[in-house]
Amino acid sequence: MPLSCHSALHKFRESTDFTVALAGNPNVGKSSVFNSLTGMGVDTANYPGKTVEVNMATTTLDDTAIGIIDLPGTYALGAVSEDQWVARQGVLDGNPDVVVMVIDATKLARNLYMVIQFLELGYPMVIALNVYDVAQRQGRHIDVKALSKHLGVPIVPTVANRGEGLDELMEMAVAVARERQKPSPQGLVYGKDIELEVATLTNEIASRELEDPYGLPHRALAMLLLEDDPEFIELTSELPGWQPVLEKAAGLRQIIEMEHGQPASSRVAAERHALAGMIASEVETIVTAARPSLGERLWHYTTSPVTGIPILLLTLATIFVLLFFIGETMATAMSQFCSSYIEPPISELLFALLGENVLSQTLLWAAKGVEAALTVGIPYVLVFYLILAVLEDTGYLNSVAFLTDSVMHRFGLHGRAIIPIVAGAGCNVPAIIGTRVLTTQRERLLAGILIVLVPCSARTAVIFGAVAFYAGWQYALLLYGILLVLWVLVGLSLNKIMPGTPSGLVMEMFPFRRPHLKTILRKTWFRFKAFLYLAVPILIVGSVILGGLYNTGWLWELTEPMAPIVEGWMGLPAVAGLTLIMGILRKELALQLLVALAIVEYGSQAQDNLLLLMTKQQLFIFALVTAIYIPCVATITALGRELGWKRSIAIMAFTIALAVLVGGLINQLLTL
Amino acid sequence: MITAAVEEYLEAIYKMSQDDGPVIAARLAEHMQVSPPTVADMMRRMKEAGLVKMPRKKGVVLTARGEELAEKLVRRHRLWERFLTDVLGFDWDQVHEEACKLEHAISDQVEEKLAEMLGDPETCPHGHPIPGTRGARERMKADRPLSDLCVGDEAVIERVAEEEPKLLQYLASLGLLPEAHVSVKEIAPFKGPLLVQVAGAQYALGQEVASKIIVRTS
Repeated sequence: MPLSCHSALHKFRESTDFTVALAGNPNVGKSSVFNSLTGMGVDTANYPGKTVEVNMATTTLDDTAIGIIDLPGTYALGAVSEDQWVARQGVLDGNPDVVVMVIDATKLARNLYMVIQFLELGYPMVIALNVYDVAQRQGRHIDVKALSKHLGVPIVPTVANRGEGLDELMEMAVAVARERQKPSPQGLVYGKDIELEVATLTNEIASRELEDPYGLPHRALAMLLLEDDPEFIELTSELPGWQPVLEKAAGLRQIIEMEHGQPASSRVAAERHALAGMIASEVETIVTAARPSLGERLWHYTTSPVTGIPILLLTLATIFVLLFFIGETMATAMSQFCSSYIEPPISELLFALLGENVLSQTLLWAAKGVEAALTVGIPYVLVFYLILAVLEDTGYLNSVAFLTDSVMHRFGLHGRAIIPIVAGAGCNVPAIIGTRVLTTQRERLLAGILIVLVPCSARTAVIFGAVAFYAGWQYALLLYGILLVLWVLVGLSLNKIMPGTPSGLVMEMFPFRRPHLKTILRKTWFRFKAFLYLAVPILIVGSVILGGLYNTGWLWELTEPMAPIVEGWMGLPAVAGLTLIMGILRKELALQLLVALAIVEYGSQAQDNLLLLMTKQQLFIFALVTAIYIPCVATITALGRELGWKRSIAIMAFTIALAVLVGGLINQLLTL
Repeated sequence: MITAAVEEYLEAIYKMSQDDGPVIAARLAEHMQVSPPTVADMMRRMKEAGLVKMPRKKGVVLTARGEELAEKLVRRHRLWERFLTDVLGFDWDQVHEEACKLEHAISDQVEEKLAEMLGDPETCPHGHPIPGTRGARERMKADRPLSDLCVGDEAVIERVAEEEPKLLQYLASLGLLPEAHVSVKEIAPFKGPLLVQVAGAQYALGQEVASKIIVRTS
């Protein structure tokens, strides 16, 4: 029993008038509903042992405080996969006053499967019939009234990404929650033989007057036991008096299995699908056969082998070019802006207040830190986040996963792993959390290591800010080439070394959606804001510390012990070693502090100030080492949480060794 | 001497191996609701009797003789089920246990007459093929893994190999179930995944997953 989250959800319940659980299949627009209801004020509850999160947020409607529990998007409730387990546990522990289930009107039958599961559990429910506009455009006419009558719950057609129908949905949800109005479905009856078994077991439970776990209806418990649900079988086996019921259930499962030649769990699932399909066909009339939309036709090109691979390569090239040109233009503009408008007033102010001494000189480094953030961090990070949001919102990553599945197999992963890996190019932290979509521990460890070796936007900023900006784009491309070769080598050998085999890919594919500008900008902004809030304070503090070391002259003493490796083996100035260590806080800090140092040494007017500190070759090696060695603190923390600290430390040690080895080898090669 | 217990085992192994090849002893123990040592003991005896072989220690496979016997039993079981529903008017959800008892009791001649009287039915009341009829053999032959299909092929899922119950249940929650209609839309290069359409939704299925889904093509 996960006590800590149980109590988190319990406390959450007490702080609000009503609680609403938001449920639905993946990609039905559930997060659009959640975001527009709450405006993204999110708390999360983590289930120990299981790592998928339940988000919680509060909102008010007519002076009523409403708590919203956002369950992970799943196809069913069950104990089969982690997300399904969390979705179910979130409802059981959260005991919401109403479940708002978001369903996709274009895939009614499949979505009704989980609706039926909720109805069986007996929670008050309201259904949001989402993407109603697309369903209509496809010529699907859904008799909402008839569907509502069948299921015995209110249904509100919605278009969540445009906010249509959401007010009505919320009003309806509150009305149902106020009454705790139980659903009254009509004709939710399975095949005769299954019903017989369900009835037998329901009566068995009812006749014994047992304690019902979570206060669930007898029929719901009977279904769970017939479905061979490991969680509930264990739970009830610990309660007094359930043993005979469990034995009876085992016998009934055996009968189902013998009669149908398939496990009872699949038989029940099949019955539920049949029921869902039957309801759907009764309420849905397809007026015109859906012509494939433009999105679907374009999508076809991205998954077809002949056109898909060139499109993938073209996309990668476009990302590189956009980063290079837009990033560079912004970086130059920012740099000029800083040297003319930001630094002079701050230094004048500081000198006027404190006079010219070690303290004011040290504090002035804060301004240089901000300048470094503006010139290195923001241009490249912002552009990258924007590109990532577009890729995600159109659904192109789906096609990438499909195309790369067989390649990923060589690395012991399957296609789905490509999504967190690509996300890792934005930021490693959410990418590592994203490895939760992978099923085995082996896959998660492999993906974790490979993600850490993907240059995140901060490292991209270093590569572009140091190599592309000062030495030229060809060198940046070469650097990425080296990283790619390393990445492949590491991936291939890890798959060889580690015991086990990859599991199979099962993933729903969504045709292209028209990207929604507001969603893209919103996503970019929230990510960028998180980056700013986290990065800029660290950068300012780091700059002041480095400034203090510089102005007191301790800097050179501290760098001395590292000199043999940093100077002797990798050919970098010793001070770069120090900024590399500080770069563990944030990767781009390593370069930004060097830039700040160069500004102090040579003045910010000098266009190529960094080149006065380091040669192009040194910058290349510096960026390469930055891209490989030890991930930043946030990533280390995420790794520790997701994979365990032992593995996290092993990964850190491995990346440091790899970085020093490769950096040194290239230096030795270049100086031969 | 083949006892009723041995016959039950033969039947169980036959049914289980239709779905996923060699039967794992632990699964068999689960299925028969006995302890693994009991199964091990029984398997040793059946091996000595030439009914099963254990090629790689991991699984149990029927020998030709074992399969012949098992097929006969399944055939008798399903014929009896037909008889109980069609002739005696039982409900089809009541006949399984009765048929379990009757199947061990009859001779070849009775079996033949029974089939003749019922008009050589191809399936039992639950829709499973009755071995030994022509239709059943043809149906078994048309079965192949989903991974064998080409772009544009359409098929109906016959069964899903059940060595991974979690995968089976996950596929079930997506609607990838027996009798579901699937069509192959695309196959990714280099032995990549299949893009299949099932009831309005599209799924990417890796080769190893697709090879566990047995379909029949019409």
